[in-house]
Formats: sequence, C-alpha cells, structure tokens
Amino acid sequence: MSKSIQFKGYALVDPSNWSDLQVREFKPKNFEPEDVEIAITHCGVCGSDLHTVTQGWGESKLPLVVGHEIVGTVTRVGDKVSEFKPGDRVGVGAQIGSCLSCKRCKMDYENYCQESIETYNGEYPDGVVTQGGYSTAIRAHERFVFPIPDKIESRDAASMLCAGLTVFSPLKTYGAGPGKTVGIMGIGGLGHYAVLFAKALGAEVYAFTHDATKVNDIKKMGADHVINTSENKDFHKDLSGQLDIIISTRDTYSPQTPLGDYLSMLFVHGKFISVGIPNADNPLPQIHPFDLMPNGALIGGSHIGSKKECLEMLRVAAEKGVKPWIEELPMKEAGTALRNLHDNKVRYRYVLSQDLA
Amino acid sequence: MSGQKELEFKGYAMTDPSAWSNLTVVPFQPKNFGPEDVEVAITHCGVCGSDLHTLTGGWGQANLPVIVGHEIVGKVTRVGEKVKDIKVGDRVGVGAQVGSCLKCRACNDNYENYCPGMIHTYNHQYPDGVKTQGGYSTGIRAHERFVFPIPDKLESRYAASMLCAGVTVFSPLKAYGCGPGKKVGVIGIGGLGHYAVLFAKAMGAEVWAFTRGTSKAEDVKKMGADHVVDTNVDGYWKDLQMTFDIIISTVDHFPAGVSLRNILSMLYVHGKYITVGLPDVDEPLPSIHPFDITANGCLIGGSHVGSKEDMMEMLQLAADKGIKPWIQELPMKEAGKALEGVKAGKVRYRYVLQQDIAPVA
Repeated sequence: MSKSIQFKGYALVDPSNWSDLQVREFKPKNFEPEDVEIAITHCGVCGSDLHTVTQGWGESKLPLVVGHEIVGTVTRVGDKVSEFKPGDRVGVGAQIGSCLSCKRCKMDYENYCQESIETYNGEYPDGVVTQGGYSTAIRAHERFVFPIPDKIESRDAASMLCAGLTVFSPLKTYGAGPGKTVGIMGIGGLGHYAVLFAKALGAEVYAFTHDATKVNDIKKMGADHVINTSENKDFHKDLSGQLDIIISTRDTYSPQTPLGDYLSMLFVHGKFISVGIPNADNPLPQIHPFDLMPNGALIGGSHIGSKKECLEMLRVAAEKGVKPWIEELPMKEAGTALRNLHDNKVRYRYVLSQDLA
Repeated sequence: MSGQKELEFKGYAMTDPSAWSNLTVVPFQPKNFGPEDVEVAITHCGVCGSDLHTLTGGWGQANLPVIVGHEIVGKVTRVGEKVKDIKVGDRVGVGAQVGSCLKCRACNDNYENYCPGMIHTYNHQYPDGVKTQGGYSTGIRAHERFVFPIPDKLESRYAASMLCAGVTVFSPLKAYGCGPGKKVGVIGIGGLGHYAVLFAKAMGAEVWAFTRGTSKAEDVKKMGADHVVDTNVDGYWKDLQMTFDIIISTVDHFPAGVSLRNILSMLYVHGKYITVGLPDVDEPLPSIHPFDITANGCLIGGSHVGSKEDMMEMLQLAADKGIKPWIQELPMKEAGKALEGVKAGKVRYRYVLQQDIAPVA
C-alpha cells in the first residue's frame, strides 16, 4: 500500500478576509468499503466557491476548504468498490453523498435526493464535515466518483464536473439537439460550457452577453449567433417565439431585469432554466402569470447532474473534442482566482494545480 | 341557406364600469361573415372568472360597450361555403378564442391557442375593426377552427363551461402527461379546479385536491379526488414533499407575503406547477428565488386555454366517461347576480346562463 495521504487544504478561516485562504489539515471522511480515496491533481474554481466563502449563500462552517471540480488519481479503494482501482484517473463534482435508497436515487436522480450531501460545507451522518478540492485529497462513495476518459486531459476535465454537468443536465433533459434552438444567457464558466455542449449536441445556439469584449471568443466557441444585449435593448423582439430552451447562468438579478422579455423568446412550452444561483437575498424579478401565458412557457431550476449524465457528458466531450477555455494557476493562488472571479475577470474558468503534496 | 329568419345579434352588455354587474341588452355588430365562418344561435353560456376580471377592470379598462362570456353553446344557423365539418343545425361550442393567423409555426403545430395573432372572444378586435362580443348574447360568428361540435351524449348545459374552464385545465394536464401512475395536485377548487379534479381522475391519475378550510371537502370527494388537503392547516405541505408530477394552481389572488416555496417543494423531480389562475394585473406571483426551484429541478409554467385538438379530445373524454360538471343554472338576465356570486366565492362550482333574449329554433 502507498504511503498514507495527509489531508490538508487551503481553507477559509475568516469570512471578513474570504480570499485569504490558510493551509489547514482536516479530517477526511471515515473510510468505508464503498469509498474511493483520491490524490488531487486539479480543482476548478466555481461560482459556488465564491458564494460560499463570501457567506452570500449563508453562514458557512469554519474552517472550510471549498472546491468541487476535482480531478486526481485513485490511491485506495474499499473492498466493495467495483468500478475503480488504484492508479485510475477520476473526478469528483459538487455532490459527495445521497441516501441511495429513495425513488430519486434509484431513478438516476441522486442529485435531487433530499439527503444529498455536498462536497464541501456539508456533513456526513457521523458528523464529519465535508471538505472540498482546494486540497491534497478527498474520499468519496464510488457513486460520486467519475472515470475520466483517456482523451480528456485532467485540467480540461476538472471544471466539467460542476460547470459542465450543471448545464449538460438541463440541455439533455429538455431535448437540446439537432433541430432545436438554444439560447444561453451569460457567457462565463457555466455559459461557455453551455455553448460548447449545446453545439456538441447538435443544437443551434444563440449566446447573449452584455460584454462586447467576449463576442469574438464566443464565436470561436461555436455559437451560431452572438447577441450583445447592452448594444441592442430590443434583442428579444427579433427572436420572439424562436427558442426552445434558454439556459440562464445569471447569478444576479435586479428587480428591473426584463424576465418577461426573455420568456417571450421561447416557442410554445419552451423552458427558461436558471442554473445560476444568486445570493440568498436576490430573488428572480417578479413575474405575473400573464408573462407565462402567451406561449405557455416554463421557468425551471436545475441542480448539477447525475452520475449517468456526467458519464454521458464526458463521453460527448471526448467524442466531439470539447475543450473548455481555462486559465491555470497554482493552488496557492486560489485567493487570487476567487477575487478575479468576483470581479468578473476570468476567461472563462480557473483551474488550480494542486501544490501542497 | 334555409328560409329561416336571420339571427338578430344582441346581448347583455356593460355600458357603465361603475355599475359593472348591471348589464343591459344592446344590439351589436357581429363579425363580417366569411366563407370559413360558422354562425351560432346561442342557447347557453358559462360564467368565467375572466368575465369578472374584465368587467371589474382588474385586467385593464374594457372597450365599451362590452358583452362578455366565452363558454358558449348553441345551434348552427349558417355556414360559409368553405366550412367542411360543420353543418346547419349542428350543436356546437365556442370558447375563449375566435381567431388566429392560421399560418405561423404555432398554428401549424396545433398550438393556435399560442398564436401571437390570437383574437379573444370578447373585448378584442378583428383586423377589419369589428369588435369581438361574447356569449351573454343571442349569437356569435366564428371561424370553423374555433367552433367545436358537441358529442351527442354530452348535454349543452354541461358542455358550456368545458369550453373555457374545462379545456384550460385539460390542456396542461394532457401536455404534461397526466395519466395512470401520475400524481396530480389541484390547488383551489372553484370552476377551474373542480374540472381539474374531474378530468385528472378521468385521465387515470391519483388526485389531491387543496382547498382552504373544510366546507368543500365532501363535494370534492364526490368529484372523485383521492385525497383532500385543508390548506388552512399549518405545514400541510410537509408530508407531501417531492410527490407531484403536476400541480395545477387555479389561485387567482396572491396575498402579500405568501411564498410559493412550500408549494413548489411538493413537486417531484422536474415536476410542473402550472398556474392557470390569472390574477389582476397588479398582482404578480409571489417572489421566487432560484433556490426554490433547484432542490427538485421543478418548473413553473403558464397555460392558455387549449387548441381545437385539445378541445375535441376533452369533449370526447367527457362524453365517454359521463363527466358532469357541478353547475348552477340561471336565466341570462341574471348574469349580474351570477357575476356577484363568483366575486363572493359563492358559486358551486360554475354558473351557466340560459339565453333568454330570443328563442332558438
């Protein structure tokens, strides 16, 4: 057996200095027969990490290691593990546990289990706090560990495991594919993946951004049409009834945000799926049933994806050569990454290289 | 054309919004008759919440004089030469829509009820300027696409309110897969809600009815609901987390401070909360945070009446299963009384007016 791993990571210790992460050792999950232990090589930086450390989503546990776009190498497997062996290259996303016995878990909806455990800032039934991937290692139940196809590099796979999956799941659920038209609002980490995957699935893609500096990039990502919403305030009028699905990655809303205008771009029974999750005090703009009536549109949410969807996403990514637009940093610069994310400077996802061990 | 006397178009109209339930008989100009049109001598008209919202100004100031009513049944008196499937003497219905462009993607996909060029049965206008007037009247003319033959087994007084209330709930129930093995919640058991219970059961689903208090509980069980939930009871949603495939909400009034979160938590994964109730314009839905729709990936939707395809399927289902709505009949001159009854929440569960201005042969 290899040398036992030391579990330590870059932790939030003081929320008033949320980008000043300190190295701390932490207690990992108590190792069980169905568990996989992973030495981390890469971790993506997700909006969730920022919402969590800034306390925007509520008070977090302390100290807390965030990060849930994890790739690494298997170091140890429990004796009931059937899918993995030491040396395998694997990933872990934003969910690390579920009850595995309810209707949802049995129907490949484990991401909607009411006893879902989050990869960080959650808690196992035995009281151990879940700590994330800005660290040396993690342990997870086999159901929440994903084999990475050979064709996908680790640094590219990492951010697929939350950002990629979070948009892939609703695209797949709501039928994105040949003959369908998909609109994507907000082209950041999530949004750029939505462009890449919607194209990989065969849909026609409209990308909406308020940032003129992103337009050329978005065309290179493959979007069929790029709409600059700050230049063209009436953009929705030309697209009335044209879209089957809108994926919204916005994670802030003002009361004046014209949600009704966005909904008007949907064809009959089209779906506006919000994957962006704002701070707790920032709801959607008010809507009236009259906003939903002209086209029988629906507004929905979505929560990451299941293992089944994750494996399919990785298969599509490998087959179609989906490559995210990432910026790499050593893990000790996680604080810089978070601050830049806060200031909307990333193009389009940070990936940290583990540098503690 | 037979030698019968030509239909005289007159109806109970609102002329003074400050006395909105005081309706007086006025003559009106009907649609200019075209080759695809059907003319109907009205025998019955249901009283819909829309009629109330329109007359009281809750949906904006109406174009006066206005004759409301869009749950219409009557007898065909005349058909244009291009009309194929309807003939003089047929018993037919007209609902809340009388026109659409008939050539856009929605119209071609049997979604004419979502055509951007849709024309409402009353308080609206044809391209040639003629105002649309509704069914609290002697007659109406409409394009064949918006006229629905009534199956023989279905009585006119029962069919009437199916043409708006019935199809308004039938359409989303059908669109979102109501059927055996599915769990459906219906919130608010009035005209729309009681139809949702009747149709969801007829389609084979297991049905929970949500109503405030217990006064309607016995009726709702007789309508066939498998479970009745009193929403005045604190925490009524707690045992129903992650249960429903579809929730049809007929609520058309949201008091300030109410949250949808608890209701949405009752939906199963990717379940749909469909609001068919349309409040006054100054009453939006309660505030929604993406957290509320993320835990179960649920969706909130709207719906607008139904297509002819929905309507014919619904009427056939009603005939086959002997579905009888719970109606209270009144002569049409008492329309004002009926409207006041709807406003006060007194109706059990739909008023149907019998046309009394001119006899129908």
